[in-house]
Amino acid sequence: MSLKTLTRDWEPMSYGFLDASAKRELRRKMLKAVAVPGCQMPYASREVPMARGWGTGGLQVSLTLINPKTCVKVIDQGADDSVNAASIRSFLAKVSGAPTTLDTLKADLIQSRHRIPEEVLREDQVLVLQVPNPEPLRSVQPNMSIARQMHADADYGRMWLQLYEQIVRSGRIMQGASYPSMVNGRHVMTPSPIPRWDVPKLNMAKHLTILSAGREKRIFAVPPYTRVEPLVFDDVPYKVEDHAKLTCNRSGARGFFMNEIPQEDGSSTHEISDSEYGVKAIRRTEGDDIVLGDTWYKNGEMSS
Amino acid sequence: MLTVPTATATETRANHTFEALLWALSRPGMPRDIASDAEAAIIDALIDRECKVYCADPVLMPLILKTGAFLSDPTTADHAFLGKLIDVNVLESLRAGSDLYPDDGATVVANAQIGTGQLLRLSGPGVDGSLQINIDGLPQGFWAKRADCLRYPMGFDIFLIDGARVIGLPRSTQIEVL
Amino acid sequence: MAYVATRGGERAIEQAERLFRAEMGTITPERINEIKAAMPYLVDRVMGEASLYDEDIAALALAQTGGELYEAVLVLRAWRTTQPRLSVADPIEQDALFTHRRLSAAFKDIPGGQLLGPTLDYSHRLLATQVLTGEAFDPVPVEPAATPAPAHQPSVSAWQAANDLVDLPKGDATRPDDIPDITREPLLFPSKRAHTLQSLARGETGGVLALGYAAMRGYGQAHPTVNELRLAEAEIVVTHPKGTKFSAGRVKVSQAEVLSKKDEKLELGFAATLGWNEVKVIAAATLDLNSAGAPKGSATEEEFFLYHTEGVESSGFCIHFKLPHYVTFQSSLDAMRDAKARSAQQKEPAQ
Repeated sequence: MSLKTLTRDWEPMSYGFLDASAKRELRRKMLKAVAVPGCQMPYASREVPMARGWGTGGLQVSLTLINPKTCVKVIDQGADDSVNAASIRSFLAKVSGAPTTLDTLKADLIQSRHRIPEEVLREDQVLVLQVPNPEPLRSVQPNMSIARQMHADADYGRMWLQLYEQIVRSGRIMQGASYPSMVNGRHVMTPSPIPRWDVPKLNMAKHLTILSAGREKRIFAVPPYTRVEPLVFDDVPYKVEDHAKLTCNRSGARGFFMNEIPQEDGSSTHEISDSEYGVKAIRRTEGDDIVLGDTWYKNGEMSS
Repeated sequence: MLTVPTATATETRANHTFEALLWALSRPGMPRDIASDAEAAIIDALIDRECKVYCADPVLMPLILKTGAFLSDPTTADHAFLGKLIDVNVLESLRAGSDLYPDDGATVVANAQIGTGQLLRLSGPGVDGSLQINIDGLPQGFWAKRADCLRYPMGFDIFLIDGARVIGLPRSTQIEVL
Repeated sequence: MAYVATRGGERAIEQAERLFRAEMGTITPERINEIKAAMPYLVDRVMGEASLYDEDIAALALAQTGGELYEAVLVLRAWRTTQPRLSVADPIEQDALFTHRRLSAAFKDIPGGQLLGPTLDYSHRLLATQVLTGEAFDPVPVEPAATPAPAHQPSVSAWQAANDLVDLPKGDATRPDDIPDITREPLLFPSKRAHTLQSLARGETGGVLALGYAAMRGYGQAHPTVNELRLAEAEIVVTHPKGTKFSAGRVKVSQAEVLSKKDEKLELGFAATLGWNEVKVIAAATLDLNSAGAPKGSATEEEFFLYHTEGVESSGFCIHFKLPHYVTFQSSLDAMRDAKARSAQQKEPAQ
């Protein structure tokens, strides 16, 4: 064995920025995350050239999966043109040469912050969600070591108690986004902060979802065809945001998750949060040859 | 300021191999194409000096040594390359992790024939309802022993290799021998 | 297209970065050299927090980020993480350090002597405002001592151990290659000793000081006495693949040992970092001293202070709140409005 066989030629940057050893560690952890759905797996989470909290966890997963043929879509709050989505998309393209797209249907890999697109994801697509806080128990137990023990014991009593107290106090569960959900009947996870609207899209989906928290160094996954059940009481059903009857004032799309836009006269208008779906709807109205994919929600109702 | 780095052959191979492994583990029991030297490709994609490896196949040993991985026995290995498995009892000694850290459970790679032999029914995450598959080439009592060793979320995850095909069997999969 | 200019975001971020960089102008090798010469302590601080010892690269990071320290450390860490690990150097023993400054607050004098070295500790902190009106500030030349202080000094705690006042930590025989590395593994609790010391070494100076100060003021159980503080240079000895050991150069290091009385023995807290940064190592050693048995959730509990003094993570998370959060906000608004509507309904008198 010589030194030559153990080393490689110097290059200014590895393909996809991360070096081979970082990728191998991520691969090993991603496999474990898939093997135990919803369970937070610790990983080294190397620094990347972006600030912590800005999608570094999702970025590391994307950088590991990407190859020159992977078609990438990046969204933030549902929008492709959001500044940080633009920054991540251009970084991914710059370090991998991969093509990018805004169209959900054309993407192989979708990295997202806070939303799942409205068009149904296929089994050949991978969704990577950026996660700020991977710990659903944080609000009842900020100490990570104790929270970890609670997951080990499937001890979710305090979580249930918190939800129950909210019903007693406010008549409903007050959790907004990142609604705690039971995965495969065993691990409670926080589905990143996607709105309640998006959580049912994870249940028995055709696609693989990988959730990665770079700053907190935890990765977890929802494989295809896996039960994801929001924590609810038998007599108080799960309620998504009341957006079913709202219409996007720019695209005319109706029955999807909306952004509320305050108006000077004190009223609000709404715009569809999945911005590219809105763009496609407009272009179709204008006569362009546009394919709108099948959507999870039809007429504002989640289709099972 | 920056030119796009090109993917080397090694990088491309590791990327494809991992894509196959991730796909296979996400869809238990569904065969996926992988490099024809599948085990070598898996070693390249996953193993380095941060790993502890048990290797029962002398052919693979030089490849594992080259990665700088620490050779260990089945009880401490995070990756076990079993080759053609003869003694089913090795499953008992494999690392299963803990309730606190299920990720400490081992990744196991073994040879088998896919599409002939014992008929199995699979269900669990990644399986749409249930799925039937024939597997041959594993020792008698393999599936019962696997079931005995798993205490979900503790357990190990298996990749079965048949030539240039792989199937993944994570610990979350329930396997019924028909 | 009638909807949004989908490339708007890309243009905006491009121009915003140009605005930031325009202020710093051209970065030349001369500027890097000037930063190194003029601000060695700043260079040391970022090298310590980045856990990367290279004065040129650290100075470049400072130049490129205009002295935004969190950005400088991030850019260094992101560069560092892609570099191969070629070798693990031999352990460094205290008495082998080439010592510039070394003092103990525990004794009036110590074997080897108190050695002040370079410090502003006793200077009057007066601004040299004459420089602003055109008169250069020329430091008064140092007058060498008649007999130079010895370059190597014994450790104070060795004397205390010999007198049965303190139990020194047992020698750790872990092979250099097997030492747990915080840059390659996640930090888990209870933390491995190596991870604790590495995290403190990389800790953000202000954060380590804030929590260390809290411990000093009384939120910790143990009151620190500085047993020994050293600023030194350490020889980096590595082994060539053929087996020969050689020096790869020297790096500046700081280390602090603090102690407090526990029953009949003294207890030690320790910290060290790359570069000269006294405040950080004293505060970090104080946290280390206080961590044993600290209550969960207190500032001196290992999990609490190691997580919260990690500068790249804390600063990144802090500035991430600038990112749009309108989806999560919308989701909360929905729950609030619904709860409000329910309570309004309940207040209406029964029909």
